[in-house]
Amino acid sequence: MKRDPVASGTAVRSGTGVASGAPAVSGGVTAALGALGVVVGLRAVFGAPLHASIGWLVPFAGLRIDLDPLGGAFMALTGAVAAAVGVYAIGYARREHWARFPLVMLPVFVLTLLVVPAAGSVTTFLFGWEAMALTSLALVLTEHHRDEVRSAGLFYAVLTQIGFVAILVALVSLSSASGSGDFAGIRAAAGDLGPALRNGVFLLTVVGFGSKAGLLPLHAWLPRAHPEAPSPVSALMSAAMVNLGIYGIVRIDVQALGGGPRWWGTTLMVVGAASAVFGVLQASVSADLKRLLAYSTTENMGLIAMAIGASMLLGASGLASVAAIALTAALLHLVAHAAFKALGFLAAGSVLAGTGLRDLDRLGGLARRMPYTTVLFGIAALGATGLPLGAGFVGEWLLLQSLIHTPQGDNTLLSLVIPLSIGALALTTGLGIVAMVKAFGIGFLARPRSEGAEKAREASPTMLVGMALAALGCVVVAVAPAALGPALTRVASTLPSVGGDQGPKLGAILRLPGAAGSVSPAILAAAFAVAISLVLLLARWGVGARPAAVVRPLWAGGGPALTPRMQYTATSFAEPLQRVFDDVLRPDTDVAVTHVAESRYLIEKITFRTAQADAVEEHLYWPVVRAVAAVARGVRKAHTGSIHLYLLFGTIGLLVVIVVGR
Amino acid sequence: MITATYTGILTLAAGSFLLAAVLIVWRRGLRATISLLAWQGVALATIPIANGVHQRSWMPIAVGIVVLALRGVLLPLLLARAVRGEDQGAREPTPLVNTTAALLVTAALTMIAYAATRPLIEHSPTPGTRAAPAAFAALLIAVFVMVSRRRAMSQAIGFLMLDNGIAATAFLITAGVPLIVELGASLDILFAMIVLGVLTDRMRQSFGDTDLNQLRELRD
Amino acid sequence: MAGLLFLPIAAPLVAASLAAIFGWHRWTAIVTALSAMAILGAGVTLAFFTDGESVVDSHHLVRADALSSTMLLVIGAVATLACLASIGYIDAELADGHTSPQAARLYGVLLPLFLATMALSVMAMSIGVMWVGIEATTVVTAFLVGHRRTRAALEATWKYVIICSFGIALAFLGTVLVYFAGTTGEPGNHSLDIDVLLSGAARLDPRVTSLAAGLLLLGYGAKAGLVPFHTWLADAHSQAPAPVSALMSGVLLSVAFYALLRVKSIIDLTLGEGFMRVGLIVMGLLTLAVAALLLVVQTDFKRMLAYSSMENMGIVAIAAAVGTRLAIAALLLHVLAHGVAKALVFVSSGAIQGAHGSTAIANVRAVLARSPLVGSAFTLGIVVLLGLPPFAMFASEWGVARALAAQHFGWLLGTMLVFVAIAFTGLVRAGSSMMLGAPQAGDTPFVPPRAIGGTLILGIGLSVALCFSLGPLTNLLDAAATTLGAGR
Repeated sequence: MKRDPVASGTAVRSGTGVASGAPAVSGGVTAALGALGVVVGLRAVFGAPLHASIGWLVPFAGLRIDLDPLGGAFMALTGAVAAAVGVYAIGYARREHWARFPLVMLPVFVLTLLVVPAAGSVTTFLFGWEAMALTSLALVLTEHHRDEVRSAGLFYAVLTQIGFVAILVALVSLSSASGSGDFAGIRAAAGDLGPALRNGVFLLTVVGFGSKAGLLPLHAWLPRAHPEAPSPVSALMSAAMVNLGIYGIVRIDVQALGGGPRWWGTTLMVVGAASAVFGVLQASVSADLKRLLAYSTTENMGLIAMAIGASMLLGASGLASVAAIALTAALLHLVAHAAFKALGFLAAGSVLAGTGLRDLDRLGGLARRMPYTTVLFGIAALGATGLPLGAGFVGEWLLLQSLIHTPQGDNTLLSLVIPLSIGALALTTGLGIVAMVKAFGIGFLARPRSEGAEKAREASPTMLVGMALAALGCVVVAVAPAALGPALTRVASTLPSVGGDQGPKLGAILRLPGAAGSVSPAILAAAFAVAISLVLLLARWGVGARPAAVVRPLWAGGGPALTPRMQYTATSFAEPLQRVFDDVLRPDTDVAVTHVAESRYLIEKITFRTAQADAVEEHLYWPVVRAVAAVARGVRKAHTGSIHLYLLFGTIGLLVVIVVGR
Repeated sequence: MITATYTGILTLAAGSFLLAAVLIVWRRGLRATISLLAWQGVALATIPIANGVHQRSWMPIAVGIVVLALRGVLLPLLLARAVRGEDQGAREPTPLVNTTAALLVTAALTMIAYAATRPLIEHSPTPGTRAAPAAFAALLIAVFVMVSRRRAMSQAIGFLMLDNGIAATAFLITAGVPLIVELGASLDILFAMIVLGVLTDRMRQSFGDTDLNQLRELRD
Repeated sequence: MAGLLFLPIAAPLVAASLAAIFGWHRWTAIVTALSAMAILGAGVTLAFFTDGESVVDSHHLVRADALSSTMLLVIGAVATLACLASIGYIDAELADGHTSPQAARLYGVLLPLFLATMALSVMAMSIGVMWVGIEATTVVTAFLVGHRRTRAALEATWKYVIICSFGIALAFLGTVLVYFAGTTGEPGNHSLDIDVLLSGAARLDPRVTSLAAGLLLLGYGAKAGLVPFHTWLADAHSQAPAPVSALMSGVLLSVAFYALLRVKSIIDLTLGEGFMRVGLIVMGLLTLAVAALLLVVQTDFKRMLAYSSMENMGIVAIAAAVGTRLAIAALLLHVLAHGVAKALVFVSSGAIQGAHGSTAIANVRAVLARSPLVGSAFTLGIVVLLGLPPFAMFASEWGVARALAAQHFGWLLGTMLVFVAIAFTGLVRAGSSMMLGAPQAGDTPFVPPRAIGGTLILGIGLSVALCFSLGPLTNLLDAAATTLGAGR
């Protein structure tokens, strides 16, 4: 079903005449841009804002750069991801024989990703946004000789444009009502704006920015575009670009408009929770490694949106300290997700480059053949589960704490929303563990299920270095989140409507203000390490007292030798879950039985086919597309080609004018 | 020329102009239509000539003579020559709208024209303007002819009628637009008719006949 | 000064006479291209003289202000591309036997005549002469559209001539009514002059003017491809040879819209802004809707490009309806950038048509792989047309959006963007299926003729140059917006 992307079409892809040093240049420039982004971003966070004005682009408007702490933080995060991906891309692009065009586009894409958080005016923001869409589309279409890539590219382009329309209408209405095209001016005039405009802008930004962040309902581009894009591009998109959706919501709704009524926060929480549950559910039944990771992005972005929604809701209810905890949770989880998702996609890319496969049902046994990749993917998977010692733990823990410690009092809204959100969070975490265990266990452990997996070769050194950089980020967030403390406090202080800087203190031990709760990942990690070393020591000490090890064949139930077909596959692992959630997932299954020609009592072949489509896509997008197509066909029928009919149209217009124009 | 005669001549000219248009709707044969067109051109030319005589100015008379030559003589001759190549006699194939309905539509269009041109009369109640509704009605009838005729040449004749109607309206409500504009407009209509003639010829060569219902290949 | 003012009309006329005498040769075609460059040069020079609100005229025949200079720039730029492409196009057709020397001679005469009539329209002293110029463009382009002598081309030509002439006749009646509304009987050779009408606009009879306004809107709208007289557009632009399609799509529609802008500036002074605004919004929105919906169900790429032009004219109409300085300036930038991009796309599609012998989207695959130059030119043109940054159409559409929001037309903006998104989908789908992919059996590489290749490179360069906010150009567009009385 999935054509081997490595073998087919290499002749088309490898640009004849691409110098052998070109991937190194491209990756190097990307990494350098990333490092620059980190430096400039952090400088802006800690008090050295950047201002610039470019009048010679975009006639009638011009561009403006205004880097403040909020933008600087996102810029630094993007830069960090870009640095790791850039280093990785050196080896990956060389191994996959990228043509000249994607090599040029990669640094340009990163540049646009860095421009968006730095934008100081609406024009610049939209310019960077669309440039980001264009360059990422070009990169998604790197392997455009495959049909699936072209259709994924089309889907991505259209959905991005729809999101852009929503964002454009919101921002242009906001800027014209405020009388200023700069974010600073909008912020100053926000108090005078009417509620209808504010609510309209909020809804449009949730739809538009939510689409970019992978939130429901306009999320379906993620699981389509990511599997078909090259892995470094997927990593950039999932770990850096989707963050900008959250950036948009924070910048406009939280900072510029200064928060709103409680239903804003509730809406965001509902959208976030729905995205989280739906995303993780789809991830847990997905057999394609990259599609699984893409849905995991939807899940984590849903959690972040839930956290921001919670902070908005709690802030509007006057509970500033809990709101601040939720805000810190959101920001921390954003960083964590960027780290483990980048690592996950880079590792998936390494698997794809080494085996030519991304179908979990055909992978396996990579632990022995690609040990470094396995360990690194393990770190990413641990982070994605949200278990302690994983990168995602602290963020989810903080979110849970903020929800638990909310004094509900007589507030019906809070009494309703909080328990439901806690439930959603718990469900998400549980299903997330399933998904990641499946990805890691089926994909990397046990025995290879196909020839491609058997012939796996480890990634090249630059790819490993890139992945190690991302892993470093994961470990830092997991064990020492205190390192991010000062930056997060600075950013939070620019968002007074959601608690500001009353947040938790991120020291070696995380303490929650005004609440009884604390955790220390560092101590946990240390304890764990000590425990493991103790066990190992004891085991080695006890070795001497035991007889030497003897090798015997494994018990296989009395039958013939073990074959890889006897293992779980990803599909079978997820099957119970699929059955439980059948109403939501609605997979398309088909069993075809072929009988032997001579006798109907004998069966020659049974074919089982299952396809998992995105339920939101099926029930929301395609009806709209069909409706538009139906209207278009109606208009086409009205244009029969008869000149008499055409002249009649004109005559009707003439009569209308004569009658109306008096 | 005294005003009463002038008014009478204008009314007569406008009336015959409109009558010619109605008769073109009624008679579907190409030869008869072209003669009616020539008659309409003569009626059209009478208007500026009468105006020139009334105002003792040579300019409108000169314009009227040019119009007479062009729309009363030259263009009908060109059309007649083009029509001579038409086989199957001069009978119009099954029309899109039957004659009775067509005449009813013509009546309705005339009423609309009279209603629509009231602001013109109110702005400047001269004898010429009062006769303008007839010209405007002929204009609308010409549009109807263009919409309802199946033969290419008939549609071209409808277009010529349309232009005649506009020229008549122009001459009636003003003393004529500036000369250079009138000259340019006349040249344009001449070239347009030549183009339509050549196209009809090519159509006959490519398609066999000039039934416009065949022109339906270009569609989405 | 007089020479400069007559140059845009005289130079193409000289080229036409040379072509008539000597027939089609490479050097007559080059002279035509030089005359197009002369128009461009005249436009650039006049831009400096018509800065601000100044007007220059000569012998009461031709007139130039900032708006005319802008239109001359548009005409010159697109015409240069189209004439350069014609050289390679006609030579290739003669070599393949698709056309005869007589037909080539006719093409060589009509093409510069076409340029001359457009130049006359934008530099006319009176709205009557402007009308004459625009009607002349219909007559002159008739046989350019029908150049190929196929049944489909004949059908397209007939529909084009009939429908456009019908519309343009209505515009003539409208012009006469404007004259009538102002004169109350006294004729004068200068009563239709633009400056005279502008100064006397307040005295025109309102009821007569409203009837005239409706007719002018319908009539010039017909040439601009606005509903309900839009039905000729797809047929004519798809059947014409590619350089002619480039000219018609890229600049003739805009010249017709120029005429609308001129009469609008007069009528707005008589009736107030509201009348034409409503008409333009209705027609513009309907045009945009019809064009976008028909675009997504297209199977022929030249028709698709024609509908894209119609869509952009709808956007231009909506911008004209708003009428503020930003809106008009953005509109003019849109017209310029669209003209260049559309010319680029049509010339490359002509090369594609030449290589495949058909214009069906389904028959074309993997052009980027088979001809990097044609593929890149087509792709770049489509990217510009989609309004993506850093190209100029992003700036122009963003300017229109800001103008709409500033006048509280948020609902109109939203509706407009929905249809633009629908058209976006159609263009991306067709473009990706034609340009991307791996070549299958039977898809051979192809190389366009050198003249066409040079045109493509020039077109790409122009599109890139327009990304930048060139100071003199922005000032010119601003001045043009001001001369239209859009001081609000």
